[in-house]
Amino acid sequence: MRACYRLWNGYLRIRLTGFSPERFLNLCMANQIAVWDLRCVDGEYQFLMTVRDFRRVKHLVRKAQVHLKILGRYGLPFFLYRNRRRKLYGAGVAVFFLILFLMSRFIWSISIEGNQKFTDDRMIHDLESWGIRYGMVKSGIDCENLEEAIRSHYPEILWVSARVSGTRLLIRVKENEVIGSIPEREHEPGDLVAAKDGTVTRMIVRKGKALVEPGEEVVKGQVLISGEIPILDDAGEPVKYQYVRADGDIYARTYQTYQERLPVLTSRRVKTGKIRKGVRLQIGPLSFLWMLPDTSGRQWELTSQNRQVVLMRDFYLPVWIELIRAEEYSLYEREWSEAELEEQKKRINTQKIQNLMQKGVQIIENNVRILNKNSFLEIDGTFVLEEPIGIRQNMNREEENELLDECN
Amino acid sequence: MDQIKIAAADRLKLPKDVVLGEVLVSFVGRSCVTIENYRGILIYDDSTVKLQAKHCRLSIHGKRLHIDYYNHDEMKITGLIQSMEFGD
Repeated sequence: MRACYRLWNGYLRIRLTGFSPERFLNLCMANQIAVWDLRCVDGEYQFLMTVRDFRRVKHLVRKAQVHLKILGRYGLPFFLYRNRRRKLYGAGVAVFFLILFLMSRFIWSISIEGNQKFTDDRMIHDLESWGIRYGMVKSGIDCENLEEAIRSHYPEILWVSARVSGTRLLIRVKENEVIGSIPEREHEPGDLVAAKDGTVTRMIVRKGKALVEPGEEVVKGQVLISGEIPILDDAGEPVKYQYVRADGDIYARTYQTYQERLPVLTSRRVKTGKIRKGVRLQIGPLSFLWMLPDTSGRQWELTSQNRQVVLMRDFYLPVWIELIRAEEYSLYEREWSEAELEEQKKRINTQKIQNLMQKGVQIIENNVRILNKNSFLEIDGTFVLEEPIGIRQNMNREEENELLDECN
Repeated sequence: MDQIKIAAADRLKLPKDVVLGEVLVSFVGRSCVTIENYRGILIYDDSTVKLQAKHCRLSIHGKRLHIDYYNHDEMKITGLIQSMEFGD
């Protein structure tokens, strides 16, 4: 702090000679004149003193009968004086701060945190439709209105906070993780029918009349639990039917097959080891590319990393630097090796299993094989599954009415 | 009077540099020394610094002695310190 003050006001290196230098130093101390970096070189003294204090020591010099000589001048006033002719230099510094100031009036980055269901792209697109985009003036953003707009546009978002930090617009959202609305219960009478062929393994009936038993084979569309409950008389004859919405869990053993084709030959990219590097600089809408052009017509695999330039933590500038790396490769085709085929088989199978697992299906058996069909290879898989197969089928109203009529 | 002050400072466990204005010298290794409660500079050159304190004089001997800063409470001397002695 003190050092900054001294730099700002300017200070001097002074040579002290004469009759009684110690007396002069004591007088300075008594008059509260700051002297620092005092050294004794070859019998003469040198020290530093601020410009303001130097003006105050005249009478002390006379009293102590010493001589002062200025050896060096430091600090801002002297720096400005020395560079007084360098007008363009000063103008450059001024323009730098002016540009920095002007740039800081705009939004150069929008970041959204906490969104899972809604992608950044979608939200940014919506923001754009409300007039909030990269490069807009910071004062044009009303955070409260923006929060309100986001909340009303996305009912799934529970909580929004929008704030401008530096040149960045930071939007944090909290999404509703539970289901938005409870599905309404249906009361329409209906049956549970089989969604696919299979053998019933176990069943729980909550409502309705079971028409199948565990161990029984069923075909697609067959009624498993009927919503039509007969009310019997003493003779065991139905006198009336009650219609309910059949409900229950029916698990059946089912089969599922899949076929995937692979080409006989696999094409491989082999890197030759040649690498080209380049940089793309994007400043606003302008883009500059520094990369040697490729004249050989070879194949290159390009990867790039794009970064936005940021000062400190939140001062994003409309400048992007993209580092490009190109690796040369050559393409050739060959037959699959045993291990590769095995790996492909495994990969496809694992993918299928994952898909099934997501549906909550239990896998009982899993067989995969590779068939060579001359023009292509076929990966042939069979699963034996245990899965819920009941789907609801609403009862036909007309049929229902007929039944009612019959009963009557 | 001084005797009373010393006794009082002892009893009340007050620091003597504050109560009696005694000089306070703190060394940091052999390269740096800070002196508080001194009255004035008697001699200064690159091998000796002699100071006046309230009740005594003290001299610091060494090589390339250099006063980083001084004001009426405190002085900081750096350089290669070889010895310090008190005198009347």
